Formats: sequence, C-alpha cells, structure tokens
Amino acid sequence: MIEIKNLVKRYGKKLAVNGISFTVNKGEVLGFLGPNGAGKSTTMNIITGYLSSTSGSVVINGHDILEEPELAKKSIGYLPELPPLYLDMTVIEYLDFMCDIKGVSKKDRAPQLARIMSLVKIVDVGDRLIKNLSKGYKQRVGIAQAMIGNPEILILDEPTVGLDPNQIREIRKLIRHLAQNHTIIISSHILSEIQAVCDRVVIINKGKVAAIDTIGDLSTRLNEAKKILVAFKGDEKLVCNLLRAIPGVENVYLRESRSADIKQVEVSVMSENDVRSSIFYTMAKANSPILEMRELDASLEEIFLSITKEA
Amino acid sequence: MLAILKREFLSYFKSPVGYVAIALFSFLSGFIFVMSFGNAYSNITSEIIRLCGFFVVLVPIVTMGLLADDKRRGTDVIYYTSPIKLTAVVLGKFLAAVGLFVVMFINIVVHMIVTKAYGGVIDASVFTAVVIYFSIVLLYVSIGLFASSISDSQIVAAIVAFVFIMIIQLLPTIGSFVSSAVTSLLSILGNPSSATLNSVSQKIINIFVWLDPNERIDTTSLGIFNLVSVFYCLSFAFFFLFLTYRMLEKKRWTQS
Repeated sequence: MIEIKNLVKRYGKKLAVNGISFTVNKGEVLGFLGPNGAGKSTTMNIITGYLSSTSGSVVINGHDILEEPELAKKSIGYLPELPPLYLDMTVIEYLDFMCDIKGVSKKDRAPQLARIMSLVKIVDVGDRLIKNLSKGYKQRVGIAQAMIGNPEILILDEPTVGLDPNQIREIRKLIRHLAQNHTIIISSHILSEIQAVCDRVVIINKGKVAAIDTIGDLSTRLNEAKKILVAFKGDEKLVCNLLRAIPGVENVYLRESRSADIKQVEVSVMSENDVRSSIFYTMAKANSPILEMRELDASLEEIFLSITKEA
Repeated sequence: MLAILKREFLSYFKSPVGYVAIALFSFLSGFIFVMSFGNAYSNITSEIIRLCGFFVVLVPIVTMGLLADDKRRGTDVIYYTSPIKLTAVVLGKFLAAVGLFVVMFINIVVHMIVTKAYGGVIDASVFTAVVIYFSIVLLYVSIGLFASSISDSQIVAAIVAFVFIMIIQLLPTIGSFVSSAVTSLLSILGNPSSATLNSVSQKIINIFVWLDPNERIDTTSLGIFNLVSVFYCLSFAFFFLFLTYRMLEKKRWTQS
C-alpha cells in the first residue's frame, strides 16, 4: 500500500532523514515512534507530499508521490500536528471547502459529510465558528477533514497531543473504529497510545529506522529474562536469600517500597521456567504473606528507551 | 481554484480587512468626486487616476494576509497535501483580492451614473481609464501576493508590498536621480560634450519613464487607448504570479 525506499532529507548540512525504508500493508495500523527531532514529522511530511525528499521514493497505491502527485494524494488523508483549520469559518463551511479542494462531487457531498460528522461526533457543533471550539473538537474537525474524499490511508501526526484524558480515550476509540476499513499511520511519543491502537511499530532515531516489529515480538526480543514482582510482609534479607535458592531463579533485587511493612522484590527468571508456585510455597514457609505477585512485561517505554539508547 | 477564490473572498468579510479597505476606498473616491462635483464639474478619468495613487496603501492591506496568514496558521498544508495544483492556489488567491477591487469599483460606477444623470461627460477616455484601473490592480495585487509569499508575517508582507509599489510610483524621480548620478560620473571620468551628457541623461530618464505604469496612465487622460500599457501591466502581473508560484514550490525543498 505504501512503499518507502531509502528516503533521505537534507536541510543544508543537517541530515534530518537518513535512508528510511519501510512498507505499510493494507488495513494495517502502523505506529511511528521516535524521540523529538528524530525525523518523524519530516518523514510524514514527505509521505504526504508536503515536503520533497532529497532522494529516495514514496509510492502510494502504485503512484509515486513526485511523479503522480494528484493520484497519490487522492488516497491520503492527513492530519498534521497542528490541524489546518480556518478559524474564521464554521465547521460546515470548512468541511464543504475541503470537499471542494479534494474534488468531492456535489452529489456525494451531503451523505459523506453526514457520515463523517456523526462518526467523529461533531454534528452538534456544525454551525459554530471553528475558533470558538475547544481543543478536542478542533482535533475532531481535523480528523474529519482528513477523512473527506474517502482516502484509504489516514496519516495522523500526534492526534491526541494536548487533549484531556477523556478526549484521548474518545480519539483512540475513533482510531480503532477507523482502523476497520483504513490503513493508518500514527506518530506519537506517547507510547501507551501506540501500544493501545497499533499492530506494528516503526521506531526511528536520529533519522534512521531503529526497529520495525510487532509490539509483542519487540518485547520478547528484548526480554530474554522474565521478571516477576513480589510484594510481601516480613524480613527482606531472609526472603531474598530463600528466593535465590529456588532453582531457575537468576537473581533477586530489592525494590524501594513506599511503606515500611510492605516490601517489594524483583525476581529475574530464565524465561522457560515458571517459578511462581515455588515462590508461593517458599514464602508461605517463611511466614511472609504475599500481597502481590505479577509478571513484569517489558513495556513499550522500556523497549523504546533501550533501542534509542543503543543507536 | 474556484473553491479557494470563494473562501478567500468571503474571508475578507469575516475580518475587518475587507471592510476597512472598502471604507477607505469609498471615502477617498467619494471625497475626490464631491470636491469636483461641488464645483459643478466632474472628471471620472482624473478621479480614477488619482485613486490609483492610493493603491500604495490599499493594495498591501488587501494582499498582506493572502499567503502569509496560511503559513503562520499552518493551513498551507491543505494546499500541499491535497490533489490540487499550486497554480490553482496562486490564481484563486490572486482573483479573490482582485475581486475586492471590483467591489470597490462600484463606487466609481455610482459616480459615473450621477455624472451622467446631471449631464456630465462620460466619454471614451473614461472607459480607457477603467481599463487602466484594472490593469494597475492586476499588476499591484500580483506584487502584493508575491510579497505575502515571502514571509509568514503579515506586517512584513505589507511593508514589502508597500516598498515595491512605492518604488514603482517613484520611478520618474528615481530615474532623474540615476541619470544625474551617471552624468556626473561621466564628467568626472572624461570630458564629454554637454550634448552627449544631455542625450545620455535623457535616455536614462526615458528608460525609467518607460517602466513607470503611471506615466502610461497619463496618456489615457488625453483619451488615448494604449494597448501596449495594458499588455505591459499584464505581463508584469504574470511575472509576479510566476514568482509567487515558485516561492510556494520552493517551500517543499527548504526547511519549514
């Protein structure tokens, strides 16, 4: 669906994007991650045709963005970091204008606008001036604008930035709904967001692709050793020694805990062993009741930190 | 292109800009008209020509926001990422500003009707002046649009447009300044006869006068319709529109 090959963007002496290649398959939700200044927005701007690359190619549905820009752009809906809204227009006027710009025929216009507006829930603000809308509504109008013309691909640059937690949940729900019949690329530095909605992630750092994988594979790749968190009451030195004696346990670290009587330890184990029942019996014998025990999964945050540090 | 034309034109009336420009024009044209009409005299041709002198202020007001505001608010993304051509964007915005001057022109139409109703003269020279009015509008608006494309600040765009138009208005003065500079330089370097000096100085002044669109307007007050002047303004307008298009295109290649 989208093929990106050896993308390079040079700003004078500064190399913003240095040979990025990846493909996005039909119907996929791809997360685009990277620290600030890694080249996320530049790459997205090149994919959408806002910027031209210094070298490399972007092919969308078989159309090169530089050679057949009009055909390629027809299949993309883009929500930039700052939604491109004309504040002096009402929501309806603005969306109507975008229909003109994207060449939606007069016949299709009314049903398409009605569908989009009810999907992003902006029907009740249709007659209001955009400048009077709250940030969450502005963002929704931005998403509505991207959906006009029924593009197969949606590219959303930090769609939830600056929204309150309720609005973030609603936008995520909307993205998951859109994922049913769109190919979506989302950039974000909020990792839980990517984890919540994406099938695959591309992590870029310093203008290069640092990792491309599904979230599950990334975490297993990073975490050969599993970790188990145990919270308990009792003498921590004794417990640590007992736990270290359990076969399969590699090491035990004491964690700083918030209260004096509840202690926490992190037990690292070789991944093929399940030592949870051994831990339970050991602790029971030591008269140290377990208050909490869970496996620690490498979160995207850790993956991200370790990958961007490596590079 | 029509979509952009419509949006830009209507946006003039959603902010004070359109009203201020029209009010200013109405006041100036009304003032000029009443001053002569009060003396039982009306000369629409000279009214139009005098009004063209005020474009140095009016045009920057109208054109300053056309592209600069889009860049400042980030709405220019729409034009780069939608399946439309940048030439359509340039033409749409250009015609929207020209449209505002068409609206202003209604004032002059009213003055013509009043003049005619009171037995005044509306002759060929008036229609020549109308043609010149619109030629000058096309030229100056294209300059204003270009000025708006080089910065994301409306103030900078307005100042640049003002300076460009001012230079055009002052071409004869600049011409005589340059010619006196050149002749004094020549007399320092060698010892040319005064006849040569005169002819050189006259040639230089002629070049600047030839470049000055206002000088071309002046012939119209004599009722001479000069197709060359119209063509001159149009080709300059086309040149500045092309530069504007290149400025927009350039954005893709430089840091945003």
